[in-house]
Amino acid sequence: MTMLVGNFGLSMAMLAALIAFLLSVAAARFRSRVFLDCARGTIAAHFVLLSISALALLAALAGSDFTLDYVAHYTERALPIGYKLAAFWAGQEGSLLLWAWLLAAMSTIAVFTMPMPRFAESSAEPAAAIATLAAVCGFFAALMLFAANPFVTADLVPTDGHGLNPMLQNPGMIAHPPMLFLGYAGYTIPFALLVGVLVGGRTDNQWLSLVRPWAMVSWLFLSIGILLGAQWAYVELGWGGYWAWDPVENASLLPWLTGTALLHSIMIQQHRGMFKRWNASLVAVTFILCIFGTYITRSGVIDSVHSFGKSLIGTFFLVFLTASIAFSVLVMIARRKLLKPEHELEILSGREGFFLATNVLLVGMTVVTLVGTIFPLISTVLADQQVTVGPTFYNKVVAPLGLLLIALMAVGPLLGYGKDAAARLARGLIVPAIAAALAMAGFAISGLTNLWALIAAVIAAAAVTAVLVDLFRSVRLFSLNHQLTIVASLAHMLPVNRRRYAAQIVHVGVILIVIGITGSSLFSQKETFSIKQNDTIQFAGRTLTLTDLRPVEAANFQALQATLQITDSHGRQSTLTPQIRQYNKWDEQASSEVSIDSSLREDVYVTLASSDGKGNVAIQVIINPLVIWIWIGGVVLTLGGLIGLFPRLARRLAAVPAAPAPAPQVKSKKSRKNRGQMGVRASV
Amino acid sequence: MPALQKKLLLGGALLVVAVGYLAYAGMKSGWVYYMEVDHFLADDQFKTQRVRLHGKVSEQDFNVKGLDANFSMLGKSRSINVAYHGVIPDMFQSGRDVVVEGQLDQAGVFRAQVLMTKCASKYEPNSPHQNIKEQS
Repeated sequence: MTMLVGNFGLSMAMLAALIAFLLSVAAARFRSRVFLDCARGTIAAHFVLLSISALALLAALAGSDFTLDYVAHYTERALPIGYKLAAFWAGQEGSLLLWAWLLAAMSTIAVFTMPMPRFAESSAEPAAAIATLAAVCGFFAALMLFAANPFVTADLVPTDGHGLNPMLQNPGMIAHPPMLFLGYAGYTIPFALLVGVLVGGRTDNQWLSLVRPWAMVSWLFLSIGILLGAQWAYVELGWGGYWAWDPVENASLLPWLTGTALLHSIMIQQHRGMFKRWNASLVAVTFILCIFGTYITRSGVIDSVHSFGKSLIGTFFLVFLTASIAFSVLVMIARRKLLKPEHELEILSGREGFFLATNVLLVGMTVVTLVGTIFPLISTVLADQQVTVGPTFYNKVVAPLGLLLIALMAVGPLLGYGKDAAARLARGLIVPAIAAALAMAGFAISGLTNLWALIAAVIAAAAVTAVLVDLFRSVRLFSLNHQLTIVASLAHMLPVNRRRYAAQIVHVGVILIVIGITGSSLFSQKETFSIKQNDTIQFAGRTLTLTDLRPVEAANFQALQATLQITDSHGRQSTLTPQIRQYNKWDEQASSEVSIDSSLREDVYVTLASSDGKGNVAIQVIINPLVIWIWIGGVVLTLGGLIGLFPRLARRLAAVPAAPAPAPQVKSKKSRKNRGQMGVRASV
Repeated sequence: MPALQKKLLLGGALLVVAVGYLAYAGMKSGWVYYMEVDHFLADDQFKTQRVRLHGKVSEQDFNVKGLDANFSMLGKSRSINVAYHGVIPDMFQSGRDVVVEGQLDQAGVFRAQVLMTKCASKYEPNSPHQNIKEQS
């Protein structure tokens, strides 16, 4: 029954995507509004049909319907209901269905929020965008029907399922994959809008205000997804790290890097009409990288720790990837006239130059990461010898570029547009420079000698102060001009300059993340100990005592739990309880459950590595400084992103009191806020 | 605007050189050959290099105690003795496909600093089947 409903949904959804595609082609060909509206409706129908399939799978998972191979493969009766449902995306087929369903949902929102032409003559632009969405939606539906069907039934129905892999039984499993897929799916919409503009022949930059929210939403989801993945790896895998430069991790980082570049360069095109080719390429490349990442990790061409069996879907993705690249290149060449800049770049020291530098660095990081990821392929083709480049390669190349980027971040937001920007900037840099000097002095006093840490600290100090100085100066100016208190001015300004402050908050989040990464990667200490009950060990200024070792039990696993009493140098006590779990359905594989004591200063991270059954255990203790700032930074970044996306949220957060004067434009001698109007100079 | 273009070109060239140098330095330290056990044993040039080896853990010759794993890693026709000290990944079992990274010692034992297990049968969304556990 589930099989029938699921397959019905999938096949009808594929048909709907095909019809939507044909209808939009017809709408473009015959300049018809009617066809256009029908195409939009069919995209919505595609979403409804896929929802039927998705619900069928969810119902089967919740009800432990083991007639479905997929359900039997990834769940068991004793599994908690949350994980039963999350098993939706535990496997290849289900995760593709999730992606397809999210894509269908976002496409439906996109086609109904797209402005429709007033005259039927200009139907080509929305039609081409809808056709693109329909093609991608159709691809995913076809992929599931022909290569990775989640609704395959079992020949013999088992009484109980295999169970979910222990590593996936973590709260990270519930949130991380959907976030990541929302990001991947979301980047399809800017691509579709780009195709629409190029095919429709639009010359103005209006369409970017449509692209921006999608680029922002997708970027935010991708960021959250990546961070959740890192956090999951950190608490689950037991090696004390959160990022290993594994191909699958890189695959999610690549579109994030180009997506970040896109968010910045969009602004230049909106304000100055420049960087058009660059923006178009970034939109296309980001979409293509989402597909590419999926291709390399699911086809088996690159060995990854997230291994998939080799399967037909690799071929499907390769064909789709090649077609997307070829189509993007062709359409951009054919419409190259539309992508000519309205202004030439005049000066490097202004905002434009900084945005250019930001973009170049981000794309540089993308290229380096890409080359590293596919190096095993490159070396096999060129030298018939597989060579991998390890984490050291990325750390040595990407980390310096990243720090340079943060340095730009300290200066960039303070800059205006145009020629005299640099002169206006100088005053704003005094305080950040002092902060940087203080950071340096702090290092000298504390006796830390690590050069990278020093550089990171100086840059982070300068960047954070720059944001604060900028905020303080504009708030003070506003309060002087309007005779308001500082708090009231802040409340007024936050909604008015929402985008700017949202960006600043995101920047602070990124800086916090960089601080966390720097601290934990440079100053981590690790040691393994073999101990027995009541043994006491000394490590990194702490005393650890194994006070208890006992078996514990849960619905679907049994575990050996160690209790460690930890006293730090200040006498603060904490208790950690790492476990070795033996899941009932995974008897050949023990799984260690990490226990972490987190503080703002550092994490104490303890793994129970092994036990000989006679009371002797091996434990691994890792001291990871500042890790928590990565997660705090993630929260700050998310908050900034949400404020940028939802104006009302910003207004509510600021809880505006009765406004005496609705002054959206503040006259300032620095005239930074008028940047939208100013500086449109005649080009060469 | 030739002056600006010159500046742009110069800046671009500088960046390419800098990134190129970084990439070269990173490659030199991160460069690791990846191969099968048989290939490794057949070619003497790798005996003194740090490499990454793929093979199967022997069912008989397999000994894990606390933080030490000593096992024989099987290729298609030949095998090599591997010694690893550190936290043993959860998935490490006899009969499994594993990847080890390290170097051959004087006695002909492969000293692994990294031990990764691999299981190609199932998909794991962002939660590696292998644990990378490096000895400090």
